[in-house]
Amino acid sequence: MNWVQLAITVVTVVSILGVVTLVLNMQYGHAGLINFGVVAYFAAGAYTYVLLTQSPPSETSLDQYVIGLNLPPWVGFIGAALAGLVFAAITGWPTLRLRGEYLALTTFAFAEVFHSFTINEQRFANGTRGLVGVPRPYREELSFLDYDLALALAALLFLIIVYIIFERMVRSPYGRALEAMRDDELALITTGKRSSRFRLEVFLFTAPFAALAGAIYVAYTTLVIPDLFTAEVTFVVWIALVLGGEGSNRGALLGITLVVLFEELIRAIPFDTIRAAQIAASLEVAALGVLLIVFLRWQPFASLTKSTRKVARS
Amino acid sequence: MTLLEISDVSKSFGGLKAVNRCAFGVEQGSLMGLIGPNGAGKSTLFNLISGLYEPESGSIRLDDEELVGRRPADIASLGVGRTFQTPRSFPTLSCLENLLASVPSSGEQLVPSIFGTYRAEERTAVKNAREHLKQVGLEARADDRADELSGGELRMLEVARQLIRRPKILLLDEPTAGVTPTLQTHLAETLKGLRDRGLTIIVVEHNLAFLLNLVEHVVVMVHGSVLTQGDPDAIRSDPEVVNAYLGRRGSDA
Amino acid sequence: MRVAQLLVLALGTGAFLLIATLGFALIRRVEGFLNIAHAELMSLAAFATWYFNASLGWHFFLAAAVAIAITAVVALVIARLIYDPIKHLGPPILLISSVGVAFLIHGIVSAVIGVGIRSFEIPRLDAWTVGGLLVTPYRIVLLLLAVVASVALALFLTQTRTGKSIRAMAINRELAGSRGINVTKASRATWLASGVLAGLGGVALGVLGTLTTDIAFQQILVILAVAIVAGLGSLYGVIAAAFIVAFAMDLSLLVLPGGYRPVVAFAIVIVVLLIRPQGVAGSREEVTA
Repeated sequence: MNWVQLAITVVTVVSILGVVTLVLNMQYGHAGLINFGVVAYFAAGAYTYVLLTQSPPSETSLDQYVIGLNLPPWVGFIGAALAGLVFAAITGWPTLRLRGEYLALTTFAFAEVFHSFTINEQRFANGTRGLVGVPRPYREELSFLDYDLALALAALLFLIIVYIIFERMVRSPYGRALEAMRDDELALITTGKRSSRFRLEVFLFTAPFAALAGAIYVAYTTLVIPDLFTAEVTFVVWIALVLGGEGSNRGALLGITLVVLFEELIRAIPFDTIRAAQIAASLEVAALGVLLIVFLRWQPFASLTKSTRKVARS
Repeated sequence: MTLLEISDVSKSFGGLKAVNRCAFGVEQGSLMGLIGPNGAGKSTLFNLISGLYEPESGSIRLDDEELVGRRPADIASLGVGRTFQTPRSFPTLSCLENLLASVPSSGEQLVPSIFGTYRAEERTAVKNAREHLKQVGLEARADDRADELSGGELRMLEVARQLIRRPKILLLDEPTAGVTPTLQTHLAETLKGLRDRGLTIIVVEHNLAFLLNLVEHVVVMVHGSVLTQGDPDAIRSDPEVVNAYLGRRGSDA
Repeated sequence: MRVAQLLVLALGTGAFLLIATLGFALIRRVEGFLNIAHAELMSLAAFATWYFNASLGWHFFLAAAVAIAITAVVALVIARLIYDPIKHLGPPILLISSVGVAFLIHGIVSAVIGVGIRSFEIPRLDAWTVGGLLVTPYRIVLLLLAVVASVALALFLTQTRTGKSIRAMAINRELAGSRGINVTKASRATWLASGVLAGLGGVALGVLGTLTTDIAFQQILVILAVAIVAGLGSLYGVIAAAFIVAFAMDLSLLVLPGGYRPVVAFAIVIVVLLIRPQGVAGSREEVTA
């Protein structure tokens, strides 16, 4: 059991998924928007990064993808963020008037359409087979460090930046307005504030961060296959959010850390047979379901616990 | 001067005409009552004025600006304040935050929220909010969450949330429902005080004893249109009005 | 001719979707939330049937009957243990909870069953040729089953006392309770009915094709599409919606590759939610902010 390697992996995955969880916390925990399609931002960022930085397909290989622009990694990252923004715009704008379960279903449907697209369109990124061997960004520049460690630190830095930004938003009148909208959108409207502005802004501002996280994820996995970007990602992030309770950013990070630790510990166990490993993986899924149910019931959610914002005293 | 002009407004739901060519004007600075039996269309009219419904015909002008066709948030910004039959608030926010959330702040813009440039403005806003809480007797509850408030306190909070916005006109939907007599008197005093300071108020009420002692002008609605209007004494003894209420008497205190 | 063949195919698909969605719509109408775990209940029934039928060698009908009964009971137990205690938290919380339940059932079923493809031990029936079109007998059975299930449900809800209680409860739970209706009993009956329908749907899945443990997830999306087109909360609308979606999905094969068939369902969800969220039979007010 290589604890150092495990630690590095945990830090990396927690940082990457932590950003996505923070995004979801902003959208649901504070603004009350049920987004069942967060994986789409993540995936959009990952795929865009690859398409921009990948070399064009060679004639001899079996690749069927068409786009590979071979651009430097930083362009890939910017592109990834933009992709998240565009996807949020396309899916956010028409849903401005939907609430509750209708919003959940629409966001879910959009994400599944994208997922289906990545599976079916061979020319997009090799369809189900996906792209493997994606070169890790800045490999030479960072050769003085163990690359895995460098990536973990970069991801962690990204997480910290996002945390700071989101935390400041939450503690400001902006956060207060979001929570007011979550509590009673109509009451907010009667004070003259357009809730649709907040909704759209929340989607458009937070999605690029999740998309960037997706790009970093590609640097971590070096491959991009549709199987990595299923609704399961969305729901794992939801479970993390519920586990962390409180609907606070801190809670969100706590939740994702627990979930990732849980998953990595199970993955680290040496199983004798494939069947045993498969059973463990299945039971892990069941356990996550139980945790979600239990925590939803006994650790009530954001709207039911104390607000984390401090009001300036005069 | 007529602040709010309702002309020929109609609204149907399915085949039912809830508001039928309703027309009346509200004078600036007046305290007006809107009464009528259940189903007369009073709450529907409030929803039409505040933009939650759109009339199929007619016009609603505030200070000579057409409200019909605008979004509810914009109508509110133009100066229309309203409360609901069941008071609405932000349950997980404190009373103080409830009020703060009801006024615009530069901190509600994305960039300032991140860079914290709103702090000075926030301090002033907090002072102002505390003042308004005092006005409605809720200063002791400033830091309590709104979902810890009693029914009567919630109603006052809702009123405060609208008052802090400095609306031109305030629409109150059955403000005394579930409110103790003592609080009712306090409410009446508060409303008169507000009227004296220039606020125009329309009150929908079934509690006629409360209303007819408070307002200076009454509009009576039946079946979606105006039956008659006049001062409280005239209305009290108007046989047509009594008839309209026959069998469906509004609650008396 | 291709169109006609696809229409025949769509009839079968529609019948299946009708059965699968009725149970889901019933819960939405009566209990007020979207039970995402409904598809996993179908999976449970399908694999339980497989286990009894293919593994233990039971006759298919016996296996199916027992599996459906088990599924109904599981649905009820889950409702009593998990959903009822948090009903007061509102439909969105119940929706999220049902995701947890779906994970739970999926995890247990896949742990027990393992990976790989499974199929029932049922006689292979050749397709008949009717007027130049291929018609599979199983699909005809399914169509009949769908009709029977719909009629049975309709009769249950309109003619029996429990059914009428359920309808009263769906309109206004508190009012029904204060009028002396045994809400708990009606609720239990609803969950059992939903479980039975899920069971039927699961068995149908196994009859129509092979089974993998991921099958539930694919189904829930299409079920959601049908429910939304019907208008959440409408049962009669499901009948029309099931066939509308089925026709859209199968006719799309004329212009799109087969892999996109589910996408048609999702696209329908998006379009309906954006243009007419109340679906065929719902009302607008409950949908928008």
